[in-house]
Amino acid sequence: MERHAFRAMGTDVELLLDAVPGAESKAALEEAEQELRRLEGLLSRFLPGSELSALNRLGSLEAGDELLTVTRLALEARTRTGGLFDPTVHDALVAAGYDRTFEEVGDGPAGAPRPCGGEVRIEGQRIELERGFRLDLGGIAKGWAVDRAAAVLDAAGPCLVNAGGDLAARGRSWPVGVETTEGQITIALADGAMATSGSDRRRWRRGGQELHHLIDPALGGPADSDYLRVTVVAATAAEAEVRSKAVFLGAPVEEPAVLVTADGRTVLAGGLG
Amino acid sequence: MTDHVARLYALAVAILVFLVAWAAVAARPWATSSQATADPRVQALIVKQERVRREALAVRRALANRRAAAPASTAPALAQPSVRIVTLPPLTVTRTS
Repeated sequence: MERHAFRAMGTDVELLLDAVPGAESKAALEEAEQELRRLEGLLSRFLPGSELSALNRLGSLEAGDELLTVTRLALEARTRTGGLFDPTVHDALVAAGYDRTFEEVGDGPAGAPRPCGGEVRIEGQRIELERGFRLDLGGIAKGWAVDRAAAVLDAAGPCLVNAGGDLAARGRSWPVGVETTEGQITIALADGAMATSGSDRRRWRRGGQELHHLIDPALGGPADSDYLRVTVVAATAAEAEVRSKAVFLGAPVEEPAVLVTADGRTVLAGGLG
Repeated sequence: MTDHVARLYALAVAILVFLVAWAAVAARPWATSSQATADPRVQALIVKQERVRREALAVRRALANRRAAAPASTAPALAQPSVRIVTLPPLTVTRTS
C-alpha cells in the first residue's frame, strides 16, 4: 500500500494506492498530485492568477474546458437542488468574512447578507456573470478535482483520494472512518465517493457573531441548519459535495448518509441504518 | 296413412319451417360486419390503436439502439456505489471539508 500526503486546495490531501511500491506507483501518485494542483490553479477563488479569479474580476471570459465543465455542473446542481446549492454565493461568503483562505480569516465587522441566485450565461466557451455576482466553485471544484485525481491514479491500481473529507474510491472496497456523536464508524466504500459538509469546522467570529462557511442562498448568509454535519455517499465526489450541502440546507435525504444533528444525535440513512 | 296422421305430419313440418325461419330472421344476416366497422368512432379507435402500436415499436427500437450505442464505461460511473458499515479499522477518515 502506497500513501502520499500533501497540502493543496486549502486542506490536507491523502492519496492511497493499492499497488506494489515502485517507480510506477510513485509516478502515478505524483501525476495525481500534479493534476490536483493544476485544477486548484484554475478553479480557486483565492488564487489571483486562477481562471476563476479572472472571470470574477472581468465578469465575462472565454473559459477553458475545466472551468466551463465545473461551472456547468454547478449550474445543473443549482437547478436540481432548487437553489439550495448555488455557485453565486461568493459575495455572501465574503460579506460573512470568508474573504481569504480560511487560515487567514481574522476578526472584523460582519457584513450584511448578500443576495444569491445570480444569472450565469454560457454561450460556447464564454461564461458571463450577472453584474454584481461572482462565482465560488469551492466545494464542487474540490470534489471534481478529487474525481479527476482518482481517475489518474486508477490506472495504476485500486486507489482512494481524500481531500479534506471529499473522497473518491476506485477498484476495491476501502474502509473509511466517519465521525459521529458516539465515536467513529467505518463504512466500506467501493467505487464511489463521499463528502462531508458541516458547520463544525471553518468557523470564525465577526462582530461578536459565530459564523461558518455554509451559506444558505435564501438568506444570503451562514445557514441555520438542523444538522451539525452531513456525510453523503454518491457516485462522484462532485455529486457528493452537492448533495451533502443540499441535505445540510434541508433537502430530503435520498442516498446513504450519516447525519449528525444540531442537538447531538447521529442518524444513519439511506440503507446504512 | 289416415287424414289424421297426414295432418299431424303437416303440422310438424309447419312448426319446423316456422322455427327455421325464426332462427334465420334472428341471425340478422343483412346486418353485415362492414356496417359495424363503418362507425367513425370505431374507425378512429382502430387508427389510434395502429398508431400507438407503431409508436411503441419505434420507441422500443430507439431504446435498443441507444443501449447498444452507449459506451460501457458510463454505467459504473453513474451507478450508486456499494456501501456498508464494517468493523474494520479505517484507512482514512472523512470530516467536514
